[in-house]
Amino acid sequence: MNAFFNLLKLAWVQLIRHRVRSSLTILGVASGMFLFTAVETLQRSLAKATAATAADTTLVVYRENRFCPSASRLPEHFADEIRRIDGVREVIPVKILVNNCGASLDVITFRGVPEGLLKKFAPEIEIVAGSEGAWSKRDDAALLGETFAKRRGLKPGDQFDAAGVTVSVAGILRSPFPQDNNVAYVKLPFLQHASKSGLGVVTQFMVRVHAVGSLESVANAIDEQFRSTQFPTDTRPEKAFFAETAAELIELIGFTRWLGVGAVIAVTALVANALLLAVRGRVKENAVLRTLGYPGRAIACLVVGEGGMLGLAGGLFGVGLGAVFLRWQSFTMGNEGQTLAIQPDAFVVTAGISAALLLGVLASLWPAFQAMTQPIVKNLRS
Amino acid sequence: MNETMIHCQAVSKSYKKGNTLVTPLESLDLEVPAGEFLALMGPSGSGKTTLLNLLSGIDSPSSGKLVIHGTELSGLSRRDLTAWRARNVGYIFQLYHLIPVLTAFENVELPLLLSPLSKRDRHARVVAALDLVSLTDRMHHTPSELSGGQEQRVAIARALVADPPLLVADEPTGDLDRESANRILELLQQLARRHGKTIVMVTHDARAAAAADRTLHLEKGVLLENP
Repeated sequence: MNAFFNLLKLAWVQLIRHRVRSSLTILGVASGMFLFTAVETLQRSLAKATAATAADTTLVVYRENRFCPSASRLPEHFADEIRRIDGVREVIPVKILVNNCGASLDVITFRGVPEGLLKKFAPEIEIVAGSEGAWSKRDDAALLGETFAKRRGLKPGDQFDAAGVTVSVAGILRSPFPQDNNVAYVKLPFLQHASKSGLGVVTQFMVRVHAVGSLESVANAIDEQFRSTQFPTDTRPEKAFFAETAAELIELIGFTRWLGVGAVIAVTALVANALLLAVRGRVKENAVLRTLGYPGRAIACLVVGEGGMLGLAGGLFGVGLGAVFLRWQSFTMGNEGQTLAIQPDAFVVTAGISAALLLGVLASLWPAFQAMTQPIVKNLRS
Repeated sequence: MNETMIHCQAVSKSYKKGNTLVTPLESLDLEVPAGEFLALMGPSGSGKTTLLNLLSGIDSPSSGKLVIHGTELSGLSRRDLTAWRARNVGYIFQLYHLIPVLTAFENVELPLLLSPLSKRDRHARVVAALDLVSLTDRMHHTPSELSGGQEQRVAIARALVADPPLLVADEPTGDLDRESANRILELLQQLARRHGKTIVMVTHDARAAAAADRTLHLEKGVLLENP
């Protein structure tokens, strides 16, 4: 074990004293891992937004076949009828207004909700700045999701306008659900008025059910209730709804996986190339070490150690930078009014750094094999 | 009477170069007692370095018996031969072959890194080896900051640090000025006489060979005591 650590230390010394070569390689690895982090963050954010879990109890009721917020118009009074359906715990009518219905990285979504119902519907929401009282006092008051406020640099007392609506920031909220952290909650009548959709008209209903197992039966009951009305509905679990309405976005994000694969290949090739060059440049040094009694596996350990360290250093740098950048930018992808918060988490960071280390080690296997099998006598003469 | 350090019996070395079979050493017999400082001379291509490589265990004879310090090398696996080399042989190269990014201390420490010695013990041994070659004041210098003679002394310290009974030196003064060469030769004499090391030195230089206890000449792979 002592010998193993001494070899790693020797590999480390080789790295830090070949500064230019090491820095350039680490920079290359970091660039690849930055891209990998961005892609994995996208994939993971999407998975979180679309993968159903046992904790999901929310349904979204939309106008049948009209999945864009501007096209879905439902009577607000449907809420009372939905509330009476068996299995429904709470229902909230929501008017949605977005600044951009197409694909965008900076979507601003207003959610108009009845005053007093928000906390009842989503008790998990926490006000982290400002107050709910301040929200009640003004018609144009807005409670901003934490990520959205950070992205736009807004704080309580500020005013901003988007999609033709001007609001005053009353507070900042935090929710365990990333989508809630990317919207602005305003009062329903205010948004109905400001968006000129008219009072009594909402975009959708958010429905919370008592039991996870009743999601499907409640959804069917709701759609059945309004099937023969002028406004038939389409009710789905929130995540399934997202997956359906943001299908194009999901397709695009799915494509980015190939960029991640490309980044991984580039990192592997870069480290392998750097180490192959190092091994070729050190044929005599390795022959000297073999003469001093270093077995071939010790030489291989030196090369693999260098590869692992290059990968790890590049990974720490690239993944760290990627995570900080994505957190700082707080990107939100939007399509058809659906928003996807692109936020790196601990899993992405851990997976990225581990992947970089593993790639460094894998990339060094062939150079290590070459180094350990080089003939001593021939290389001493070279 | 001194024990025998090197016993070569009918040792031959052949290898293929293209379609031609080259035999740099043919049926060579050699006996070197422990503690002897032996010089090997001969023209280029006479097989001096090949013999040195066989004695140091970095190459294997094609035939014959080679016993060094009581171990028959031809019976060892590659792994065992490597371990044997680490314990028994110190190799001094003509061009020093120090690792350029390591300091003198780190270069000398290299043979000890795979040993079970503690860091403190390694440090003590490296300092003792550098002290023997009078270079403790330069231990933190890299090879580029040392003169040729100093580099060769670091290389000698590296060869000595694991305390091997056999030192092989391939033209250790070949790249040095006369003054530095003399200093290296004095050091090798001291290692043989005071520390009991067996030294086999290949040289082209008759003055360097004169420092040895005995000189042998290799001509076309055959050893001659008095050419």
